[in-house]
Amino acid sequence: MLQTEEIIRLNGIYKRLLSNAGVKLYEGEGKIVGPNEVEVTQLDGTKIFYSAKHILIATGSRAQRPPIPGKELAITSDEALSLDELPKRAVVLGGGYIAVEFASIWRGMGSTVDLCFRKELPLRGFDDEMRAAVARNLEGRGINLHPRTNLKALVKTEEGMKVLTDHGEEIIADVVLFATGRIPNTKRLNLEAVGVELDKIGAVKVDEYSRTNVPSIWAIGDVTNRMNLTPVALMEGTYFAKTVFGGEPCKPDYSNIPCAVFCIPPLSVVGLNEEQAIEKAKGDVLVFTSTFNPMKNTISGRQEKTIMKLVVDAETDKVLGASMCGPDGPEIMQGIAVALKCGATKAQFDSTVGIHPSAAEEFVTMRSVTRRVSKPKTNL
Amino acid sequence: MATALSAPKLTTTFSSSQTLQTLCKRLPNSLSLHSPSSPLSLSTARISLLSRRASFSHRRHFAARAESDNGAEPRRYDFDLFTIGAGSGGVRASRFAANLGASVAICELPFATISSETSGGVGGTCVLRGCVPKKLLVFASKYSHEFEESHGFGWKYEVEPKHDWSVLMANKNAELQRLTGIYKNILKNAGVTLIEGHGKIVDPHTVDVDGKLYSARHILIAVGGRPFIPEIPGSEYAIDSDKALDLPSKPEKIAIVGGGYIALEFAGIFNGLTSDVHVFIRQKKVLRGFDEEVRDFVAEQMSLRGIEFHTEELPQAILKSADGSLTLKTTKGAVEGFSHVMFATGRKPNTKNLGLQEVGIKLTKNGAIEVDEYSRTSVPSIWAVGDVTDRVNLTPVALMEGMALAKTLFANEPTKPDYRAIPSAVFSQPPIGHVGLAEEQAIQEYGDVDIYTENFRPLKATLSGLPDRIFMKIIVCAKTNKVLGLHMCGEDSAEIVQGFAVAVKAGLTKADFDMTVGIHPTSAEALVTMRTPKRKIRNGSPPEVLPN
Repeated sequence: MLQTEEIIRLNGIYKRLLSNAGVKLYEGEGKIVGPNEVEVTQLDGTKIFYSAKHILIATGSRAQRPPIPGKELAITSDEALSLDELPKRAVVLGGGYIAVEFASIWRGMGSTVDLCFRKELPLRGFDDEMRAAVARNLEGRGINLHPRTNLKALVKTEEGMKVLTDHGEEIIADVVLFATGRIPNTKRLNLEAVGVELDKIGAVKVDEYSRTNVPSIWAIGDVTNRMNLTPVALMEGTYFAKTVFGGEPCKPDYSNIPCAVFCIPPLSVVGLNEEQAIEKAKGDVLVFTSTFNPMKNTISGRQEKTIMKLVVDAETDKVLGASMCGPDGPEIMQGIAVALKCGATKAQFDSTVGIHPSAAEEFVTMRSVTRRVSKPKTNL
Repeated sequence: MATALSAPKLTTTFSSSQTLQTLCKRLPNSLSLHSPSSPLSLSTARISLLSRRASFSHRRHFAARAESDNGAEPRRYDFDLFTIGAGSGGVRASRFAANLGASVAICELPFATISSETSGGVGGTCVLRGCVPKKLLVFASKYSHEFEESHGFGWKYEVEPKHDWSVLMANKNAELQRLTGIYKNILKNAGVTLIEGHGKIVDPHTVDVDGKLYSARHILIAVGGRPFIPEIPGSEYAIDSDKALDLPSKPEKIAIVGGGYIALEFAGIFNGLTSDVHVFIRQKKVLRGFDEEVRDFVAEQMSLRGIEFHTEELPQAILKSADGSLTLKTTKGAVEGFSHVMFATGRKPNTKNLGLQEVGIKLTKNGAIEVDEYSRTSVPSIWAVGDVTDRVNLTPVALMEGMALAKTLFANEPTKPDYRAIPSAVFSQPPIGHVGLAEEQAIQEYGDVDIYTENFRPLKATLSGLPDRIFMKIIVCAKTNKVLGLHMCGEDSAEIVQGFAVAVKAGLTKADFDMTVGIHPTSAEALVTMRTPKRKIRNGSPPEVLPN
């Protein structure tokens, strides 16, 4: 399969990156046995001990399976990426980015897809208007949405898997994907013995410099459960190296980090969403939105609107957040993120001439305020 | 629309506007901005209010000047603004002028897909014969590449999809009709009077539309431009971009003469729709004026898609053979068998038949209307925006010019369009997006610059197996670390560059780019992760090429 070949190729590239940098790569399971000692169990079972001035934990996370009867029948994203064949009927449990992305992928390939999630809308934590757009689009593309729904049990039958929801529904599926969250990989690291503190979900606790409570032990990436995105892990890793070996202690900056959800069409955001902006801004918040059917759709006939949004601090004119749900959203948002990170104002956005015709130009041509939200008055 | 209620606010602005006073002092003749007029129309009532408030010394100064120029009587006009040409610039200016309280009329030739001295259409070049239909055709033509890509992703089909040209044309034309209707509504909703016909200037305040005369305080010329086909033997067999957007059937084999963005876009369109495409250019490379590395990259990628480039080859004649096919005779020989020969060798401003010479409007040496920074022509009451002024011939720039003019004339905010860091795109395949300076310009203007480039295979191509690549370039001022220019050629370039244009226009630095976290996985993130300069140019010394 071409995809497997590609993964192997990239794997090889990463190995070369390490060797070119002079990093020694040992294959095996690593365990911390002291503040400065790591034990590696090699593939043949033999154990080797290495001492180090600093130990960095970057073991990431893994998909978790909720305790639902029949959970062994379900798969997680790992298996989902390597299925032998496309499921004709799929049930996806989860409301996060992994769930909606797989729902979109399988639907795009022609599967019947049922998406079950706990809340009213998928993608909790994202801008509500964008969440609604995503839900609308998923439905528009033929995915069956089951909001406020959890699964009660999975039962194997002759016609496939019978999936029982807590609304009493029964759905027959070839594949059930649990995409209900990922948990940090800390169980087999022996951290308790060494005294490294974990939080209640098992993530390694670290300070702003990514240092654990043991001075010689550090942790970055998904295992610390801060912002679980590759570019953030890269940032944390870079800053760790600078702090510990570059002589310049520096803290990663988590403000205005853009990200994307690759449902179809995708969602991309940077900065504060509308709800967060209203909370955090001192005064009023101006919301600018542009909703339109992209040019391509006027010929193709697809009824699927793109929505783009800027949230602005009325007092300072600073753009507090930008979001977009529509084709090419993630590609468009990257440049917007640079501007936002540097405190660009709406006026600066507006003074930028548009590239025509594009969807992106909407971000620099939002002339009228869609709504002005005043801070709710608190009763003293 | 503005009413008398808004008048006091405006007059205060007038009196306090330093810029406006300076502007008025600079203007040559009658300050038509301040010409008192009859209190007949609501919008002109504002102006007459001004003239009555002659108690302020500076206002008295303006009023006195105006009176001394045109005698005693206040002049009545049918409209505050009469616009000739309902394209991007004309509609924008008219609409916003009306929103600001002006009485506005606009005239436009009747609709046709092909432009001529007697046909045009509301919406103008962009909507009817440019950006919009072009982009729709680009979308249509991209599918063949996408079908090719799809095999690597597992898609199989027995028969390769075929393209029905007539469906595309019918849908495209229906869309144009819809859009021209929308533009008409936009004008109507703004209260702008739309007059169909050919507008001609009779005097500094009068326009003739097919025999009917209209007077206006200000006249705006926004008639745009048209494709230009050089006269060579057989040029009557050639088509221009208007025709190319509305062909009755697919060209089997087409010669495109030209090396600019229009030529490349059409080359991509016809190639994508499986025509045999040959591009004949005068220069060594396409896209003169663009960054050199981008010029090389796009030509290579287009060649890989099957487009044949004939460089340093000029057309001399077009010959038609008995079977109807065309032969293009050039300075290097002759190529035969073309079903179509298209000239994309430039566009000229539409300045004929407007009465410009008679009223004394100065033209530049390439036939464009000469205007100052406020878009004013050599006749104080006549203004011009958009392609007819041949400044930066892009729709968003015409929009900017139109908006600035509306503000200058009717919002008491003299506004100069800002031409710095204007981003733009070429919808070739692959497309180009850029903002700021090309490397060569940057070196000239700034001396010491650091050049960052990336040339990589996008993720999609790793499975599609196609030779698509992406080229990106950031040019940084070595002294200030400011990003002077950003260039990209590859899928999604236009969409990607827009956001970066905000950053470049705002004067952000390479460090600002680098501290922005990437969105993963995208192509765009490569623009915020370029760590090492490819080369450092230090004035006076050959570029230091850094080891990879």
